[in-house]
Amino acid sequence: MELTAADVPALVRGAEVLGSGGGGDARAGGVLVSRLLRGGAVDLLDPAAVDPDLLVAAVGMVGATVVFTEQLPGGGEFARALAAAERWTGLRAGALASIEAAGLNAATALVTALAGAGPDGALPVVDLDLCGRALPRLDQFSLAVAGSDITPLALALPGGQVVVVDGGDAVTTERSVRSVLAGGGGWAALAVAPRPVRELLEHALAGTTRRVLDVGRRLLALPDAPAPAALARAADGEVLAAGRVLEVVRHRGAGGGFGGGFGRGSLVVRDRGTSTLLRLEMENEYLLALADGDLVATTPDVLAVLDRRAARPVSCDRVRRGDDVVVLRLDAPAFWRDPARLCAVGPRAFGYDVDPVLVDPVSAAEAHP
Amino acid sequence: MSAPGLPALLHLPGWRDGVRHVAGPLDGPAPTSVVLADGAGATVVPDAGPGTLLCLTGSVGIAAADAWRLEAQLRRAADAGVVAVLLPATAQPSGATRLLCSRLGVALLLADEPVLQRALEAAVVLAAPDVERARATRAVSAAVAAGSGVDGRGLVRLLGRLLDVPVALLDGRGAVLHAGSVAVPAAGLRTGEPVPQRVPVAAAEGGGTLVAHPVLLPGVRAAQRWFAGAAPAWADVDAVADCLAVAAAGLAGRLGVDRLGLERDARARAALLTDVLAAGEGPDAELRRRAAGAGWALDGWHVGVRIGTPATTDTAGSRDEVAAVFADGGLAPVVVEHGDGWSAWITLPRPPGAETVRALAEDLRQVHRTLRRHLRCWTGVGRPHAGPGGVARSLAEATDAAGLAAGRTEQGCFLHVDQLGVAQTLLAWTRTGTFPPAARSLLEPLGPPESDLVTTLTAYLDQESSLVQTAAVLGVHRNTVAARIARVQQLLEVDLTDRDQRLALHLACRAVAG
Repeated sequence: MELTAADVPALVRGAEVLGSGGGGDARAGGVLVSRLLRGGAVDLLDPAAVDPDLLVAAVGMVGATVVFTEQLPGGGEFARALAAAERWTGLRAGALASIEAAGLNAATALVTALAGAGPDGALPVVDLDLCGRALPRLDQFSLAVAGSDITPLALALPGGQVVVVDGGDAVTTERSVRSVLAGGGGWAALAVAPRPVRELLEHALAGTTRRVLDVGRRLLALPDAPAPAALARAADGEVLAAGRVLEVVRHRGAGGGFGGGFGRGSLVVRDRGTSTLLRLEMENEYLLALADGDLVATTPDVLAVLDRRAARPVSCDRVRRGDDVVVLRLDAPAFWRDPARLCAVGPRAFGYDVDPVLVDPVSAAEAHP
Repeated sequence: MSAPGLPALLHLPGWRDGVRHVAGPLDGPAPTSVVLADGAGATVVPDAGPGTLLCLTGSVGIAAADAWRLEAQLRRAADAGVVAVLLPATAQPSGATRLLCSRLGVALLLADEPVLQRALEAAVVLAAPDVERARATRAVSAAVAAGSGVDGRGLVRLLGRLLDVPVALLDGRGAVLHAGSVAVPAAGLRTGEPVPQRVPVAAAEGGGTLVAHPVLLPGVRAAQRWFAGAAPAWADVDAVADCLAVAAAGLAGRLGVDRLGLERDARARAALLTDVLAAGEGPDAELRRRAAGAGWALDGWHVGVRIGTPATTDTAGSRDEVAAVFADGGLAPVVVEHGDGWSAWITLPRPPGAETVRALAEDLRQVHRTLRRHLRCWTGVGRPHAGPGGVARSLAEATDAAGLAAGRTEQGCFLHVDQLGVAQTLLAWTRTGTFPPAARSLLEPLGPPESDLVTTLTAYLDQESSLVQTAAVLGVHRNTVAARIARVQQLLEVDLTDRDQRLALHLACRAVAG
């Protein structure tokens, strides 16, 4: 299918939902894509329908999204990162994929394609990504969790430097990238070295952008102030609570996850109908949901907090006391529901000492027939 | 006895200042056991079953970032039937966490360090509630045995501190003598029944139970004092009653000692009065010295007052009260327990004029009215008489007047000899037994002695033939009195303007009325 400027609003809305409260400001990505698309289009390819030997490079943005949003780049950083990865490996990408097809990064593969477009047009984008939702760390990339390498990869910093990271395991890579970001402008464009679609079909998630677009389109089609149940239907999820935010507490740097550097927070929504107190624990994303103290949902299921009137997701850093919201739970991608992979993205991966609660876990047998 | 509920636990000595209730219901089921658990990170609550008071000793909930963990623990506790959770006061449960406690029906308590000590105290009380009750009664009996501070005020303070409920000491009629800072709603106390009482208190007055125990002296039927405690709904009423009973016994001992001195003084006064009355005009120097020692003036002009009471009245015990009523009326007579009642006299330095006597009589009437509010009594007042013998003479008149006053309820059981004059002498004669039959036949046409006509005639003559006064005394209209008097004159064929006929009828009325 072809993506045009008309698809951008749905892309943004759906990317916000799968951001699970984090993943950066999808609207900034939307503005960039719209600016570059003008009247043009980008091909979004079904990964099952392309040549398995086609070389695909996953690209995206890492680091502090706030800085990124305040000074929207021209898109040149993404092209530079991709070029560096290609030069390091000697492989040339025939198509692009996203490192994380949710939140801000739902748009970055498109931005890279459009910004790097030559006389024979932009590279196509294959509907593959490494997260399937928003996830905060590089060692949570599906490549690493499924036993492949995330390196070599290249970073292009806003200041002009290019850094190539190769060798080492995923945890070391995450640490190295974070220190580069801390020393640079706070964010960077990232390109994972090109690899054949055949390999990515095993080690990455397919169809996330399709899901994002579907959810986004259905939400945009809703009338003003839709019923919570209608919201849940549109997002293909279930309502956990609908009501006012009773309290929001944020703790700087209290995160118990890997590295522990992210701030933590907590919010409580009182359901209008049942008076149930739904507590959401958050780091960069909404991670746990407790209804009256009972754990009812956890990462990797997507927890989305939507403004009740505008049906627009509210991110972790924007949610405020008194907001009138609907909290939804969306199934995690099947890739993460596999017990072997769950530990990388479940509550313990974020320092919460509880077992994951998944409504529809996938058994190991199902995941690896 | 039933297990103490959470409110009772919160009044334990260690808990009063050390534990605060911050959320959840207090009126739920009473806890039956205490379970300690290191809540930090634990995902199961060990051994906590229905009725548990769960003490989380770990650091769970201390960090604000741990709110979800604390809430998860609270939920698991509620699901297990836990009725209350005790946390270190360093935990700062948010508004939402408190709200959750209310939703789950779990009381949330915050304890200052040492939290384990508080848990231990609760465990002891829950295991053996009688131990706590015994502790309080033992402390009261120890104080009583030690004897120091066993006065009303000391006991009220001790009871209030040990029981942590409002306690008051009341006098025999229920008026507060000593009380703590919180009033005891003693309105429901039946002071006429000198037995331990438990009276439910209306919710508007704080609810709970009024527990009262009388302080009794041997041989005196009426309660001397009452210990009253306002036991709130949470309190162990039996424990309160036990402690009040011990305190009452202690105070009774103290009052008994005081009473002994009182009786000794009363006997001495009565003996002195007897001697004064017997000595007449010529008391010897020894008697004069004794009288002076007691503060009695034998010279001057004396107005005797006799207050008669039923034989059951505790004249020795109430003497001070009677003297106090005189003092309130601006009078300072000598008051002596004498027979069934009191003999008193007021001494004036010079012969009183008619105006002075009338004013004095009015003051005494006021004193009598005040006494009648609490006491069944009748009062007679004698005329002023001079010198040591004057005491005996005026008291003799007062005693006669009091005897008459006893039956004169229409005059408030008060008679002043001056207002009767010579009639009094005549009246004494009418009691001789030969006169009443003649009197009855004289008044026969008017019907039986209690008939309207006889009563009206008696009152009319008593009130110096004033229609207005008679109407006021009888509580009827003056026209009714006029009509009745006219009918009397018609039936008896007498003329009430004739002084001889009037005197004869007045005497007959008095004799018939008895």
